Amino acid sequence: MTRYGMLINTKKCVGCYACRIACQMVNGLDHEEAFIKFDEVEQGTYPNVYAEVVPVQCMHCEDAPCEAVCPTHATYTTDSGVVLVDEGKCIGCKYCMAACPYGVRVQIEQTGVIEKCRFCWYEGEPGNPPRCVNTCVSGARIFGDLDDPESEICQEIARTNAQPLASDLTAAKIYYVR
Amino acid sequence: MVWGSMIAWYLFLAGASAGAFLTSAFVEAKYPDSVKMRVAGRIIAPIFLGIGLLMLMLDAEAGLHNPLRFFYLVMNPGSVMTLGVYFICVFMPVSVIAALLEVLRRPVPKWLTWVGIVSAFCVAAYTGFLLGVVKAYPLWNNAILPVLFVVSALSAGLAATSLVGLVTDRERFERMWLIKKSHVILSAIEMVVLVTMLIIVSSGSAEGAASVASLVSGQYAPMFWGGLVLLGLVAPFAIEGYPVFITRKVETSTTSMVVSVIGEGGVLVGGFMLRLLVILAALPVMYL
Amino acid sequence: MQEKEALMRCNPTRRTFLKGTAATAALAAVGTCSVTAWQAERAEAAGAKTQGASLCNGCSSKCGLVATTLDGRLWTVEGMEAHPYSKGTLCGRGHGTAQWAYSDGRLTQPMKRAEDGSFAPISWDDAFAEIGAKVQEILAEAGPEALAIVQDPRPSGKYYSKRFMNALGSANVYTHAAACNLSKESGIQEATGASNYSVDFPNTKMVVFIGRSYGDGIRPSSVKSLAGAADKGARVVIVDPRLNNTGIFATDWVPIKPGTDIALLLGIANVLVANDLYDHEFVEQFTVGFPEFAAQVAEYTPAWAEGVCDVPADTIVELAEALAAAAPACAIEPSWRAAFGCAYQNSFETARVVCAVNALLGCWGQKGGALITSSPKVGDVDPAKFPEVPKPTAKRVGDAEFPLALSGTGTNLAVLNGCNDGTVQGVFFYNSNAVQGYAQPAKWREALAKAKLVVTIDVQMSETALASDYVLPECTVLERMELPEFIGGKKHYVALRTPVIDRVHPETKSCDEIFVGLAEACGVGQYFPFTVEELADAQLATVGTSLDAVREAGIVELADPGFQFGTPAFKTPTEKFQFTSAKVAEAGLNPVIGYVPRLVEPAAGEFSLIGGKQGIHSHTMTLNLEALNAISREYQLERLWMAASDAAELGIADGDTVELSSSEASGRVAVKVTERLKPGVLFLPTHYGSTSPYLTRAQGFGLNMMDFIPLHLEPAVGSTMSQEVAVTVRKVED
Repeated sequence: MTRYGMLINTKKCVGCYACRIACQMVNGLDHEEAFIKFDEVEQGTYPNVYAEVVPVQCMHCEDAPCEAVCPTHATYTTDSGVVLVDEGKCIGCKYCMAACPYGVRVQIEQTGVIEKCRFCWYEGEPGNPPRCVNTCVSGARIFGDLDDPESEICQEIARTNAQPLASDLTAAKIYYVR
Repeated sequence: MVWGSMIAWYLFLAGASAGAFLTSAFVEAKYPDSVKMRVAGRIIAPIFLGIGLLMLMLDAEAGLHNPLRFFYLVMNPGSVMTLGVYFICVFMPVSVIAALLEVLRRPVPKWLTWVGIVSAFCVAAYTGFLLGVVKAYPLWNNAILPVLFVVSALSAGLAATSLVGLVTDRERFERMWLIKKSHVILSAIEMVVLVTMLIIVSSGSAEGAASVASLVSGQYAPMFWGGLVLLGLVAPFAIEGYPVFITRKVETSTTSMVVSVIGEGGVLVGGFMLRLLVILAALPVMYL
Repeated sequence: MQEKEALMRCNPTRRTFLKGTAATAALAAVGTCSVTAWQAERAEAAGAKTQGASLCNGCSSKCGLVATTLDGRLWTVEGMEAHPYSKGTLCGRGHGTAQWAYSDGRLTQPMKRAEDGSFAPISWDDAFAEIGAKVQEILAEAGPEALAIVQDPRPSGKYYSKRFMNALGSANVYTHAAACNLSKESGIQEATGASNYSVDFPNTKMVVFIGRSYGDGIRPSSVKSLAGAADKGARVVIVDPRLNNTGIFATDWVPIKPGTDIALLLGIANVLVANDLYDHEFVEQFTVGFPEFAAQVAEYTPAWAEGVCDVPADTIVELAEALAAAAPACAIEPSWRAAFGCAYQNSFETARVVCAVNALLGCWGQKGGALITSSPKVGDVDPAKFPEVPKPTAKRVGDAEFPLALSGTGTNLAVLNGCNDGTVQGVFFYNSNAVQGYAQPAKWREALAKAKLVVTIDVQMSETALASDYVLPECTVLERMELPEFIGGKKHYVALRTPVIDRVHPETKSCDEIFVGLAEACGVGQYFPFTVEELADAQLATVGTSLDAVREAGIVELADPGFQFGTPAFKTPTEKFQFTSAKVAEAGLNPVIGYVPRLVEPAAGEFSLIGGKQGIHSHTMTLNLEALNAISREYQLERLWMAASDAAELGIADGDTVELSSSEASGRVAVKVTERLKPGVLFLPTHYGSTSPYLTRAQGFGLNMMDFIPLHLEPAVGSTMSQEVAVTVRKVED
């Protein structure tokens, strides 16, 4: 089976917001609407400080809480593990927004629909790769099949011991090097 | 927070609606002569729920633009919201029919009342579970919240119905000791449940503690203490409790009526405040 | 590309629902398919998906991009794979500035300032005619030396502005450099004969950044190179009072007192010389003035350096030894604006010291070291078609006073001074917001008010435009054709900015159209009897390609310049690396590379104020752009950074509002409390505090650092000394 996921290496992310805007453009989002948000983490005290930017977007959880609570089944998971929104079914009740522990579901002002990152899904396939991946200036993002041990993403997850952000919250398919 | 006052209104009105229906059933059983109060409860129930559902739909913008999509709401029985829709689908017509029958001065069949009672409880409880299953917010994700919401719903329904009784049929109302006692006891239970929930949430996680802190000592403290605790719980408890348990006499003065109105109104304000504060003060768990 | 096709494929069954754009709009409203899908289907419905190659204008890197339009409107941009700067990716501001054409803050027609300071539209014909008459008046009264142009170089702009000024007989052509990298480039020029160099990241073992942050002033290829070096285990040292966004690649953060990098570097040089760790062969064969330098550098012991720059002497010794061990596969990175581009009285000298340390390490031209590469040269074009402009007789204003300023840039602050003393009476600005960014805005406004004519060519009503008599609207980057952009390095390329969308506002013109119009109105139209396409084709023919070829591919690789590792030819007067410089001596400064202190020392209770870029913004020009402004606001990027310990002492919490004050100005701004900053230092991003009422999103948002900086120029160089200031802060209630 194909099971799509992503790796984000925060040790390479300079926080340039390119992924956010590229995503906004390809998805026709308003400037204030974004599928990718950024958390700045500062650890330690001067002068022993480590600072990182953590880009956060839909984690395409195996056990997506947004999908579980969605009353209309507008949120669903494809056979390849990508969590999508069927806009024709979404009533905009925002239950998914409340249920998402990562706070990455966004109401589209124009339609009222609650959207999110869809790995640039179109017609049965995700982007190859999604826009956030192909515009990343430092190659901090890798997209691929988590079920294919030969894939670049699997190799890199193994090499770097990348982990989901919070495995106690959901079984996320975005892995982070931190 | 993703939700705001619209959803707080809905949760409050749905709860109060269920409470009002239950109150009317209670009145029917215990005080068959108190027609005005019974009818009031029967009429309040569908009206409150109707307004509440309107709020819900206004907040669901995508559905508002495409109303046919609301039919999809029955699709996911695994979602508490869908369950709520099932309950409402039963309770709403039942309460409307019951109200119509009352207005037409026709008897409400017992079985219909029983269906209404069960579905009303379900509606009251579901508004609590709706939030309770959301793991992302410790203030919501606990077993006490649904209990709190049910108690508050009963209390609010009772208050709304009582207000009508107080104004339209005071003589009889002042003698309905069971109603008055229930009122006081519900306030007491709600206080205990609220305190219990805050303690449990506060000790459960850092985010829960922060949520509770924002209520009791942070940005929501004035609303919490003034609106919910004082107006919504302590004042009604004292106002109703004093004549019921201390003086044990039937009040007839205008002053006492004004005070009673304040007490009942306070319950309603408190019921709304509870939903609003629970929505606003909830902080998500940290994923980093 | 595969991905794009995937996005573009459309389900025919769904397409049958569509009957043109009205139907698609309805589809969007009811949202029966995904956001992505309806975007794509809109294009299918209209049958108008196009792709075009062009060059970004988000910063001076001018990365190659591929733009995709749907129905004539820009949809997405991607980095051009073959372009050496973008390497297939674009940064945030690249995406943001690509959308400029649709910004509501654009100038849409020529504007003229009235007596009361307000602006009213004027036709192009009238604007040209009136500007032409004024120029003639100035020429008649004060001669061509009284005319000047300031521009931030762009492919067409740098050609047309110079040609226009020269045609009028004036040599007064300046770039923005005095507020950017003038000191650093001038210093490197004096030491090496080249104005810049690059680090050979693929092979380097250790690199030291002085204030510069690839993660903030982003060029994609630079970030990639550094990420690659870090991956390979190179030691990356960041010397900066602030742990900047390049910190993720760093092995070491060396927080330093602002304006004292020179002391740290001299301390390192001292260790290299005193401990005999320097490259004797290089120093003996390829340098002049080493004995004098060595004698002088003996004073600059690590202990002395620690006293000046507050970096422990042990750290300085360790860095020097590590560099020596890594040599020659190591370098001090050349920087850009950052800490010594134009910041302090000692910036020029700091650049020279950087070069000196590299010389001691023997890393010039070596694998993993500091590389001086070449740039392609455009050959002569047919003078019959492109008539030669006579060389102006008078020298450029400011060159006498600032002889060390790089000749290609000059110091634009000579224009400010010139307006004040009457030597300059007519000023043109192209793609330049000098008033807001090059020196204190109040001083610029005061000076420009004295000029007889000020003309600004821009895409928006900048602060400089507001201080002008005439404002001429240029069309935005993806709406215009420009002259070819030649790119140097280990390999040579030429790339082209071509229009990929139609002009949104018909009354805007491209750079060449505007300058041709100006030239004709000023009576020098005879020097511009060609189109930009004709000139581009002629220039490209001289390097063996053609307009069609470059337009088609977006970028073309030119003949291999044959780069090889090894000591480069130093194009200095001595043809050697110069530890001493006769030109510096002539300018009245110490010819031997050595120590110069910063000018302003913060007293007790005062702070140093440092500025810096953010990855999404470019100078002061991008703040009003919708996509970028939204990010600044969402993430409160306008905040003033303060060290946590300082904040604790002053009772300031994260998010509090403070009043920042210098001798020149005071203003209110929110504070970001951080551990990423050296105590005693404040950091203010340098994109904020617009005062233009036409830029509604930018106006009054944050503070403009230049408001706080006294007007004073770096001796002999003429840089703006953008960080020579001491400030105070106090908490205020919002």
